[in-house]
Amino acid sequence: MTTNLIDIQNSDVIMATSNFAENHPVGFQWVMKAKERGAKFIHVDPRFTRTSAVADIHVPLRSGTNIAFFGGLIHYAIENNLYFKDYVVYYTNASFLIDPAFKTATDGAGLFTGLEQTGKGGADPHVAERYKRDSWKYQLDGEGNPKRDLTLRDPHSVFQLMKRHYSRYTPEMVERVCGIPKEKFVQVAKLYCENSGPEKTGTITYALNLTQHTNGVQNIRTLCMLQILLGNIGRPGGGVVALRGHANVQGATDLELLFHELPGYMAMPLRDVHPDLKTYLEKETPKGGYWVNKPKFFVSLLKAFYADGATAENDYGYQWLPKRPSADAYSHQHMFVDMYKGSIRGFLADGQNPAVGGPNAKLTRAALGKLDWLVVKDIFLTETAEFWKAPGISATDIKTEVFFLPAAPAAEKDGSLTNTMRLIQWHEKAVNPPGDVTSDAEFFVSLAKRLQKLYAGSKKSRDQGFLATRWDYGDNPREPNIELVLKEVNGYATQDITDKDGKVVYKKGQALNTFAHMTDDGKTAGGCWIYTGVCVEGPDGKLINKANQRKPADDKDYLAHGWGFAWPANRRIIYNRASADLKGKPWSEKKKLIWWDAAAPGNEPDKKGKWVGLDVPDFNPFLAPEAKNGDKPFIMRGDLVGAFFGPLNDGPFPEHYEPIESPTENLLSQQQNNPVAKIWSVPDQKNELAKVGSPEYPYVITTYRLTEHHLSGVMSRYLPMLAELFHSHFAEISNELAAELGIANGERVTVMTPRGKIHVTAMVTNRLKPFVINGKKTHQIGVPWHWGYNGISKGDITNDLSATVGDPTVYIQETKAFLCDVKKGEV
Amino acid sequence: MLKTPDWHMLIVWYFFLGGIAGGAYFTAAVADNFGSFRDRAVVRIGYILALLMIGVCGILLILDLGTPSRFLNMIMHFKFWDPMSIGAWMLGVFGLFALVSSVLSLSADEGRAALRRKVSLVGTIFGFFLASYTGVLLSATALPFWSDARLMGALFLASGASTGMAAISLLLYLSGDAAGEGFKKIKRADRFAILFEMGVLVLFLVLLGSAAAPLVSGSMAPLFWGGLVVVGLVVPLLLDVLGARWVPAVIPAVLVLIGGFILRYVVVMTHA
Amino acid sequence: MARTLAMFTDTSLCIGCRACQVACKQWNELPMEAPEWTGSYQNQSHFTDKTYRLVRFIEKPQANGELQWLLMSDVCKHCAQAGCLDACPTGAIYRTEYGTVNINQDACNGCRYCVSSCPFGVVAFNHDTGRANKCTFCNDRIHNGLGPACAKTCPTDSIQFGFRDELAAKAEKRVAKLKEMGYPGAQLYGVDSNGPLGGLNAFFLLLDKPATYNLPDKPLLPQRNVLVDSVLSVGAALLVGVGAVMAFRERGGKGSGDA
Ligand SMILES: Nc1nc2c(c(=O)[nH]1)N[C@H]1C(S)=C(S)[C@@H](COP(=O)(O)OP(=O)(O)OC[C@H]3O[C@@H](n4cnc5c(=O)[nH]c(N)nc54)[C@H](O)[C@@H]3O)O[C@H]1N2
Ligand SMILES: Nc1nc2c(c(=O)[nH]1)N[C@H]1C(S)=C(S)[C@@H](COP(=O)(O)OP(=O)(O)OC[C@H]3O[C@@H](n4cnc5c(=O)[nH]c(N)nc54)[C@H](O)[C@@H]3O)O[C@H]1N2
Ligand code: SF4
Ligand code: SF4
Ligand code: SF4
Ligand code: SF4
Ligand code: SF4
Ligand SMILES: [Mo]
Repeated sequence: MTTNLIDIQNSDVIMATSNFAENHPVGFQWVMKAKERGAKFIHVDPRFTRTSAVADIHVPLRSGTNIAFFGGLIHYAIENNLYFKDYVVYYTNASFLIDPAFKTATDGAGLFTGLEQTGKGGADPHVAERYKRDSWKYQLDGEGNPKRDLTLRDPHSVFQLMKRHYSRYTPEMVERVCGIPKEKFVQVAKLYCENSGPEKTGTITYALNLTQHTNGVQNIRTLCMLQILLGNIGRPGGGVVALRGHANVQGATDLELLFHELPGYMAMPLRDVHPDLKTYLEKETPKGGYWVNKPKFFVSLLKAFYADGATAENDYGYQWLPKRPSADAYSHQHMFVDMYKGSIRGFLADGQNPAVGGPNAKLTRAALGKLDWLVVKDIFLTETAEFWKAPGISATDIKTEVFFLPAAPAAEKDGSLTNTMRLIQWHEKAVNPPGDVTSDAEFFVSLAKRLQKLYAGSKKSRDQGFLATRWDYGDNPREPNIELVLKEVNGYATQDITDKDGKVVYKKGQALNTFAHMTDDGKTAGGCWIYTGVCVEGPDGKLINKANQRKPADDKDYLAHGWGFAWPANRRIIYNRASADLKGKPWSEKKKLIWWDAAAPGNEPDKKGKWVGLDVPDFNPFLAPEAKNGDKPFIMRGDLVGAFFGPLNDGPFPEHYEPIESPTENLLSQQQNNPVAKIWSVPDQKNELAKVGSPEYPYVITTYRLTEHHLSGVMSRYLPMLAELFHSHFAEISNELAAELGIANGERVTVMTPRGKIHVTAMVTNRLKPFVINGKKTHQIGVPWHWGYNGISKGDITNDLSATVGDPTVYIQETKAFLCDVKKGEV
Repeated sequence: MLKTPDWHMLIVWYFFLGGIAGGAYFTAAVADNFGSFRDRAVVRIGYILALLMIGVCGILLILDLGTPSRFLNMIMHFKFWDPMSIGAWMLGVFGLFALVSSVLSLSADEGRAALRRKVSLVGTIFGFFLASYTGVLLSATALPFWSDARLMGALFLASGASTGMAAISLLLYLSGDAAGEGFKKIKRADRFAILFEMGVLVLFLVLLGSAAAPLVSGSMAPLFWGGLVVVGLVVPLLLDVLGARWVPAVIPAVLVLIGGFILRYVVVMTHA
Repeated sequence: MARTLAMFTDTSLCIGCRACQVACKQWNELPMEAPEWTGSYQNQSHFTDKTYRLVRFIEKPQANGELQWLLMSDVCKHCAQAGCLDACPTGAIYRTEYGTVNINQDACNGCRYCVSSCPFGVVAFNHDTGRANKCTFCNDRIHNGLGPACAKTCPTDSIQFGFRDELAAKAEKRVAKLKEMGYPGAQLYGVDSNGPLGGLNAFFLLLDKPATYNLPDKPLLPQRNVLVDSVLSVGAALLVGVGAVMAFRERGGKGSGDA
């Protein structure tokens, strides 16, 4: 997220599009603080939830129509001149001119210039190549700088193209597509847009409500575009608030427990695209912006992996890195399809329960049954560890050998969690794990060491990388010292580093103070550049673990810089240069964050001027506003400005497409689905899909969480105090639909899709209402997905209903919007 | 949103027998002080019956506790405004009087009789208390049906008196003494008691108003109208007034006892 | 007696997360409830011997077609005049020096009189232990310098703990503010020490009239009936007595006489 939960209290309007109160209750206290101040709170959700209960306005929209909604807001802001003119002109690429060959979806029947029709959403893994992007670029002047029209009038300017692209997204259209009554939409648009500008700021929060769609990434882009259009990024009370998942999912993404990236958001090499380090760095390093330093971060990462094994001669071990055969290879869904097809033989599930949590869970469990071996390391005996117990599976047919390793939970080990606001917080072990229970760190370190013994002396080149990796974290043979792991992540000098006049700035092995000190010559190592600074060495040579700082906020420091450590560089609000105008003074006194103090001493004795304020400047602190690029806040972008025009696999502007399973034709264009969405073809009809407006599956279904339960439910359903909080697995059904189907509250019902069916209790409620889509009454139901066949509170697995389809950029599943049928009784 | 103490048969019996104990003692005392020598059977039966009933009541009360071993905790505190608290005390005190009276009633010695009469006058106060406090106890709860009329005590008292008398008549009858003078006098007294109870009951229902619903129209209605009103009050009264020769003289007494039991039953079992 | 402590439950801040309910269970080591279908998210219709804090979910469709979902974390009111306490014959229920009402499990003998003497139906009987249970106001915690577990856990400060006078003042300000912000229904329940039951030491801010939350408008002290009912009983006794005396007196003078 661009901001910080604490800062939400400064918002004048907050639009939660996820179920904030239910899924991030502790963070939600700041919304309540803002409300106590009189801020307006809008909740956008198909269901009326506990978040809606405390909202000023609840906006129900049909699942899967988010781009239509946000696009409508962009249209409204532009048409009514409610956008933040100066911010848009100077801090975004609105004024940049685009190649005249480029046409928006408005002029391309829902498609952008350059689509190579290779069959809609087919099985082609190289999705990225399906749009030829050669017209998706800026017009350049003599020096190769983008041409701009600061009047924003040029028909090829990003602003005009955007205006043209969203010209179809009128309030009337929003009503027909999303099912939001026009009056309500206009009321919300007015409220939100009018509460943004120099004097006011608005925050938007999102989570899975936007991500779990076949246009998930574009959903999020649309809201980012709205925020820069209204000048809500980098300013107090503004921002894009991504409400993350597991307590440490942010940390997991930063350290990249992901298939497509390496720690610090650097691409995992692709086999054909990145044959060697040189090509990798050329292709992946932009010409401008802070990422020009990528080679330093990347080489330091390789040094952290391979230590002394990484030398200039061997490209720092680049060739030892595994390479992806295709963009989506090893993504979650892809992996289980491969597993089902038999090309994956073994699987280690460390702290995940795909038998319940994975989309198309029946396929997932079937895939597990095709493995030779399965290792599950978990704090509870999960459904995955006992997938052979699933209803409809006979254990005798399963030849998979299953091993269960008990794991130590957070309380039984030291370590850090990085929460949703990039805040790294340390926790100490409270008790020792019982018996032979081990922490994950201990498990992986000892596993690696044993394997290294087994491979020792191997001459095979493919083994050299693994043998080069270093696993010594302290002298306790059993338990690695996690602070040493943190130090490796933070980065350290691999040899003494001296400045120009020979003075030692870093001793060998000393922790780096900032990623600015990383080099691409192997002198520094760093496991995740953005974390650098989380631990430093005190004068006594002792490690100071800043993740363990516990100084709460006070009047002088409302952002609590003394509490934990927020990456990067303990910044709490990123792109905060945008909180000041071109001249470097705050857009308004009320919304000041950092500003240019011309009197302050500069970085050299004879120089003056410095960025100062309430947060760590996300900017060169000594770069004057009038200096070159001194007025361009978005430093992580090559062009240093916020992007309305931002090419992704599925287009440079977000365009509404219907979910793969939808009750209606796409009313905005002839293009029904995201043309480059990923639909895996799975053998044995294991991934059947319902047709558009299918009469067998007439209802929209969405799946979601409950405060009282946690994900696949293992950490809640297994605990009496939490298991009791809901009677049983249930489906939320509107009074209207219940009446049509003759279902009474509390009755058992069957919910079915082409993939599977589940039996649940009907919770008939006022909190869901049918939508009117294109004049036609359309029902939506809601089903939480926390239940499984183990634990105290048992229930059918909701994910037996969902499909194996994905977004074209990150391949996330579409579990927020698909189709189902509902029948009275257990059929 | 209110809760019931889920008291059941033990308490029904306790309330019923407690009423009889009080009523019987008081009847005996009246007979003792104002009756003639011929009522001596009434006197003796009354006192001894009271004593036995008190014993049984004590046992019932203890058995009903969630933690019977701690029944003494009730005596360790005295809250004069708390029916449950004084009730426990008074059960004990009344027990002593009943014991003394019973012992004294066994001897024919007139000297003792004098003492016995004086004792009984005081004892009667406690007898009345035992018969009525259970009603007050109910009306001092948050449950509207029990508390809204403010007449539960009076109602239980009237019923206690008449069931006490009925119990004595029954025993007289069984001991073949139904022809005696005392039997007739008790009948007369009981006639008045029944009439009085009817009066109180009518008033009770009027004051309860809507809260009486579960009783007069709810699940308890058949038992209330049929069991209490008809069988327990109207029929015995009629038989008695018409002096119907063809029914055994004891029947009205038996019906009154049945009625008295049903009263406690419907009241305790109606939680609203 | 020490300065009176109180809990202020501000339902306008409640997000129905039920953390309080679980914190209470955990701190007091209460066992699991048998599942009960209430038709909504609420897992129990009312307090039990296993549930001292209960979050209520009340769906209230509005005239304008919008929906109101009232969320309220309910608890023992620790009444200044407590029916349960007055009813208890064993003295097991007592008032602490902080003004809270607690049940001494070592003295309770399970007579269950308190159960029916609470105007809010809070106390519940535990058939396994044979004793009565209810919110202890975290007696062990407040005597060791900690606030109640439920208040401590609440993420939105919907449950606040402190000295009664301070909280009451805070509460008054809060309703005023809410009225300004356009919550006409906002009102305090049980804050007034001169009001019903001498005020509640666990008082509430409601967004609608008490009845909507299943709370009595004017809770009454059950013991108010004792006097009236007793007097009427005495009257009855006299009448019955007279009747009986007549019956026995009639004809023939003093029985003793003709011996
Ligand atoms: N108590 C609790 N907290 C949690 C979790 C938990 O399991 N329990 N899980 C954690 C994890 S891993 C994550 S990722 C986060 C997820 O946090 P959220 O994204 O808030 O979680 P969900 O409940 O899956 O989805 C949120 C809401 O999206 C709505 N919705 C469905 N379709 C649409 C749509 O098209 N548009 C909009 N605007 N809304 C839509 C659903 O009705 C649902 O209420 O929560 C985290 N926090
Ligand atoms: N239909 C539908 N499906 C969904 C979603 C949805 O919204 N709808 N949401 C998706 C999302 S956002 C997510 S994040 C996934 C979550 O899916 P999963 O991550 O598979 O589900 P969890 O239940 O979080 O599994 C985490 C496991 O880790 C264990 N664990 C906890 N601590 C430790 C530890 O320290 N060490 C080890 N080894 N194990 C530990 C827990 O016991 C638990 O079994 O589900 C996805 N699935
Ligand atoms: S579980 Fe953790 S991350 Fe989620 S709301 Fe609670 S404190 Fe925050
Ligand atoms: S913890 Fe607070 S917010 Fe959550 S339900 Fe309880 S009172 Fe409401
Ligand atoms: S609410 Fe009920 S249980 Fe609590 S103190 Fe008052 S009377 Fe006693
Ligand atoms: S049940 Fe226990 S606490 Fe309740 S009144 Fe009886 S003795 Fe007192
Ligand atoms: S005060 Fe303590 S006992 Fe009472 S509800 Fe809160 S947590 Fe439970
Ligand atoms: Mo997640």
